[in-house]
Amino acid sequence: MKEINLTINSGEFVSIIGPSGSGKSTLLYVLSSLDREYEGQVLLKDIELKTLTNHKMAHLRNKSIGFIFQFHYLLADFTALDNVMLPGMKLGEITHEELEERALEKLNLLGIADQANKKINRLSGGQQQRVSVARALINNPRIIFCDEPTGNLDSKNASVVFDMLKNLTREFDQTILMVTHDDSFSSKTDRQIQLLDGKIIDRD
Amino acid sequence: MNRLPILKIVYTHLTSRKRQTIVSMLGVTFGITVFIFQAGVITGLQDFFIEKTINSTAHIHIYQDKNQKSPPVLQKIYSADETWISVPNIKSKNELPKLKRGLQIVEILESYPDVTGVSPSLSTQAIFKIGVSDVSGIINGVNIRKENQLFDLEEDMVNGSIIRLETVNNGIILGSGLSESLGTKLNDNITAVSPGGVALQMKVVGIIDTGLQELDNSRAYSSIRNAQKLMNVTGSYITDINIKLKDVDQAGILADEFQSRFGYTAEDWKEANEGIFSVFRIQNIVTYLVIISILLVSGFGIFNILSMMIYEKMNDIAILKSIGYTDIDIRNVFLLEALIIGFLGGLIGLVIGFVISWITSAIPTNIEGIISSEYLNINFDPLFYLLAFVFGLVATGIAGYLPARKASKIDPINIIRSQ
Repeated sequence: MKEINLTINSGEFVSIIGPSGSGKSTLLYVLSSLDREYEGQVLLKDIELKTLTNHKMAHLRNKSIGFIFQFHYLLADFTALDNVMLPGMKLGEITHEELEERALEKLNLLGIADQANKKINRLSGGQQQRVSVARALINNPRIIFCDEPTGNLDSKNASVVFDMLKNLTREFDQTILMVTHDDSFSSKTDRQIQLLDGKIIDRD
Repeated sequence: MNRLPILKIVYTHLTSRKRQTIVSMLGVTFGITVFIFQAGVITGLQDFFIEKTINSTAHIHIYQDKNQKSPPVLQKIYSADETWISVPNIKSKNELPKLKRGLQIVEILESYPDVTGVSPSLSTQAIFKIGVSDVSGIINGVNIRKENQLFDLEEDMVNGSIIRLETVNNGIILGSGLSESLGTKLNDNITAVSPGGVALQMKVVGIIDTGLQELDNSRAYSSIRNAQKLMNVTGSYITDINIKLKDVDQAGILADEFQSRFGYTAEDWKEANEGIFSVFRIQNIVTYLVIISILLVSGFGIFNILSMMIYEKMNDIAILKSIGYTDIDIRNVFLLEALIIGFLGGLIGLVIGFVISWITSAIPTNIEGIISSEYLNINFDPLFYLLAFVFGLVATGIAGYLPARKASKIDPINIIRSQ
């Protein structure tokens, strides 16, 4: 990847599109602090990610970043509610009761509050992905990074999840950066960034 | 730092893989159980043996060493570097192993504040006869009251009483093994013959069982007077003085003092039983080696299970890191899991070890060997329990730390990218 110059504003719903191998995911990982072996600068609200220690990096991820991956990446042995609560428990800013209330609120927002006490592997793919959206939201992050969030879902569930993400940006001003190869979804975002061979070729 | 999520993760990991958790716990449990049981049995036996030995040996034993040969007289006349002297076949002087002024020495010893009991005695080899059976043994001429004060003979009597040695003329107390091989019962008359050829009719007034087989098979007690008759010596003749002390650990120092003061060999109980103690030392080394290797094996077991668990939980680790858990959090999760396995496994091991030891100590075993005892003597020293527990925790801590550190170094990007 080279000559990437990109700014995402607060409250924006941005999608990165491009054929496979174009570097979409790599760009997302770099921007989202997971991959820090880059040359140049990545600033999250004026903080250069490279300068952070592992410990501070973890805190930043915990507080300011939410992740949604193609595969749900939930802890299989835990219940849906526990999975949503885990980042909040780590942050420890509110009491356990308040946190539980907030987690149920997020699950309710995504329409799966009734599944809260089920183990992850008892849920359907669509439900799992919604749990991971709820988890990404729990600490009210500045930005949520999505890596093909609908890629592993059937079209019905895919549009449900996408509509929820869109809803978040509309009603809660949530900043979201999403990698996708599905044009029908990317066309509905605020801005599309098209990649080809590691370069940005079109920024709407 | 908020510890709650770590505990929650640890709890969920341990309970959702119950079989794995139990298997690794059993490894620790087994190691600790063996530790407790083996240490208990071995040291229990040793303690029992030492106690018996101390009870039946004097703290200090004064006697004349007969086997010291005097250097040839010629050496005094010719100095060695100018003349070669060759004297073959040197023999000891024909000297009786008598302690001269023995009874005065006894009186002096009794005035020492550290000495709680002094018993003069003389002993000689003898052949005991009854009917056609004869058995050789050692006859000890003692003042039975003084001897009892030292060795608690009364407690070991299985038949008859010690006082009858004073009341019955020509009375003799036989060791249980000796009495058995002769086929004698209480009040039987036997003949004792000394190496000098003196024969004496004696009446069995008691049978004694100390638990130390070597003694029970050969030793008999008579009055000092009768032993002197057998040896054909005068009334002041004694060969040994046995001493009991207030403080057993003073034996070495006092023995040296007595040796230089009276000019006879004074041997303390440690010196007298040197052979046994060195056997114990070797035995202990072997015991600890076995125990350590068992704990090492269970340590490797935990290491393996945790390494496997971390391999299985690669995804979980990546997830936890991506939602903000630090390297240290991850390390603590796995380290804590190892320590909990070690703690619970160790605790169960202590209980099982105790129960097995307790059951074993209650089952009559009737050991017959160098020592005889009705029950297996097992050491329940709490120090072993503490030591076993600490060792178990340290072993699991080390076995858990290495894989835990590896887990903490996993970079989530590598896991996420590979899917």
